[in-house]
Amino acid sequence: MKALILVGGFGTRLRPLTLSVPKPLVDFANKPMILHQIEALKAAGVTEVVLAINYQPEVMLNFLKDFEAKLGIKISCSQETEPLGTAGPLALARDKLIDESGEPFFVLNSDVISDYPLKEMIEFHKSHGGEASIMVTKVDEPSKYGVVVTEETTGQVEKFVEKPKLFVGNKINAGIYLLNPSVLDRIELRPTSIEKEIFPKIAAEKKLYAMVLPGFWMDIGQPRDYITGLRLYLESLRKKSSSKLAIGSNIVGNVIVDETAKIGEGCLIGPDVAIGPGCIVESGVRLSRCTVMRGVRIKKHACISSSIIGWHSTVGQWARVENMTILGEDVHVCDEIYSNGGVVLPHKEIKTNILKPEIVM
Amino acid sequence: MDSSEKVVAVIMVGGPTKGTRFRPLSFNTPKPLFPLAGQPMVHHPISACKRIPNLAQIYLIGFHEEREFALYVSSISNELKLPVRYLKEDKPHGSAGGLYYFRDIIMEDSPSHIFLLNCDVCCSFPLPSMLDAHIKYGGMGTMLVIKVSAESANQFGELVADPDTHELLHYTEKPETFVSDLINCGVYIFTPDIFNAIEDVSTNREGRANLRRLSSFEALQSATRILPKDFVRLDQDILSPLAGKKKLYTYETNDFWEQIKTPGLSLKCSELYLAQFRYTSSHLLASGDGEKNAKIVGDVYIHPSAKVHPSAKIGPNVSISANVRVGAGVRLIGCIILDDVEIKENAVVINSIVGWKSSLGRWSRVQACSADGDYNAKLGITILGEAVTVEDEVVVINSIVLPHKILNVSVQDEIIL
Repeated sequence: MKALILVGGFGTRLRPLTLSVPKPLVDFANKPMILHQIEALKAAGVTEVVLAINYQPEVMLNFLKDFEAKLGIKISCSQETEPLGTAGPLALARDKLIDESGEPFFVLNSDVISDYPLKEMIEFHKSHGGEASIMVTKVDEPSKYGVVVTEETTGQVEKFVEKPKLFVGNKINAGIYLLNPSVLDRIELRPTSIEKEIFPKIAAEKKLYAMVLPGFWMDIGQPRDYITGLRLYLESLRKKSSSKLAIGSNIVGNVIVDETAKIGEGCLIGPDVAIGPGCIVESGVRLSRCTVMRGVRIKKHACISSSIIGWHSTVGQWARVENMTILGEDVHVCDEIYSNGGVVLPHKEIKTNILKPEIVM
Repeated sequence: MDSSEKVVAVIMVGGPTKGTRFRPLSFNTPKPLFPLAGQPMVHHPISACKRIPNLAQIYLIGFHEEREFALYVSSISNELKLPVRYLKEDKPHGSAGGLYYFRDIIMEDSPSHIFLLNCDVCCSFPLPSMLDAHIKYGGMGTMLVIKVSAESANQFGELVADPDTHELLHYTEKPETFVSDLINCGVYIFTPDIFNAIEDVSTNREGRANLRRLSSFEALQSATRILPKDFVRLDQDILSPLAGKKKLYTYETNDFWEQIKTPGLSLKCSELYLAQFRYTSSHLLASGDGEKNAKIVGDVYIHPSAKVHPSAKIGPNVSISANVRVGAGVRLIGCIILDDVEIKENAVVINSIVGWKSSLGRWSRVQACSADGDYNAKLGITILGEAVTVEDEVVVINSIVLPHKILNVSVQDEIIL
């Protein structure tokens, strides 16, 4: 079975993290985002993954080379030379997706994090016998998204309503599809949208079905949602495989700590914290609702909440970092500094307080 | 000076209606007893007086309740082996009027010279050298003066002095236009002739008031604006009229000087006094290297009854009052911590005053950080009133919190009533 992951462009919404690596390689819960997807695909029986990408394919392939062998999965790139929207990349990768098996293939949006119930999706796809399946997820404010209106019992998609002003339903496109190869015949090689142009036509022929995604779903393409996404991910991990979560008197709520990270005495960690490989958390440190990426050092008595600390950064003694502070790679916050929502580009030293959310170039 | 001649010192301490700019700290303690560098504000001029030769007596004059000063006055008298008395005015008389009101008590020992100091100034009080200069000039009075920036001079009494004789030539209080960058420090020395000068003002005013009252109905309406005859200001009523009459002289200091108008300035003044301790009372300054005692950086005062965890780091410019408990991993910079405060593990306090019996939770942060470090700005420092609780991990930035509040969410740039 094959799969296509729509990686897309520069990942500008997740800057300053994406100034150092392509978005799919940004760590989420101690693992590059794209590995969450590749691992889920592997578990569902996928043997070959195509990345639709238009930026830095070499970096991606270099990085993923190790994982090809480790996971026993073939990974290749399909590079756009111009943006092709959400459907065009499928046409571009047509030759890589089609083989003699005639099996359906997955399409995943790389910004999305969820439980990936892909086996259930295969079952669902077989059971309805249509041409395409999409996952939908319930949201509180459907008016912000494209709503999918379905027939309640079968899940057959009736129509798509983009950003509805009046309530038509609360299920939105979750960006996870399972498509028969015949869908490719419907897509021309030009910039085109799968949600706006391809799916409505399949729906009109009553061959498109929607499955409600069990469990959580989050588009983590921007920092605030990334932090919320970590909370949902760890909550789900608690239910599925709680042995992966850290335990101890200094831990509150759901926390993951890489086995190579070191944590000092008198710390209080959690809830909703991820501490990456090689991190050093010195004594008396407080961490809550934050991600601390590979190689970070948090010095004594510092306090961090609702923030992302990028790779190899340091946070000084008695520093306070909070309120959606995002430190890019190799940022150094000096001792006793306060950062309230500072967004700091890579390789900077922060010597003065950041009192209000601002960007430090 | 003849060694049989006696000198007395009078320190004007004002009253409760005078300390409003010092809220919320003046709700609890009369402003003159607010600690700077761990000592009550009034303690600094008092200990400076101790250096005056032949000092017989120190009087504190004000209209605070006597009981508020009773304990302090008796303990300081004991400590200095010198009689210190608190004299309570029945009402505000102005600084000259207050002096005159108690003239009989002040003159009991027939002193040859009388020092007059305002309690709310912070300086090195070079009193013995001022006395020498005064005797040399041979006038009725000598005032301490200092050069300040031209922009800030108009907040004070501006004056012009003869560069050679140091005679006071002109004096004007808080002028609208620039007169001089030389200002009045609020520290004076007088001969007993000052009482005659005050009496003259008082008598003239009584005469003028009677004349007005008799002459017109209009004067009756404006009578409220006429000051009572026993209210005499030193600056407008004595210094201005007597300038240029070879009676008043100036003595310039090149040391530090500040007027302690606001809580923000009290933090600055605490810092200045701590720095002065290096020269005058180095035994009051704490030390420690982070092994057995907390690590100390710069000038720090810690009351002997305070408990500071060895893993804390304190300073520069910190004063910690009685019975304060500072927990493990606490960081204090540029702050005054008042009696009975508890600061829990890993909390941080920067540029702030923490009121009596307050409690700061674990990883809480109380801080001020104005862009230009302006101590005078309203929210230039963070102040917690008495018994304020800051809960774990809460951040309080550039704010003033009135007494008995519990903060469970972070605040910035606010006054919490």
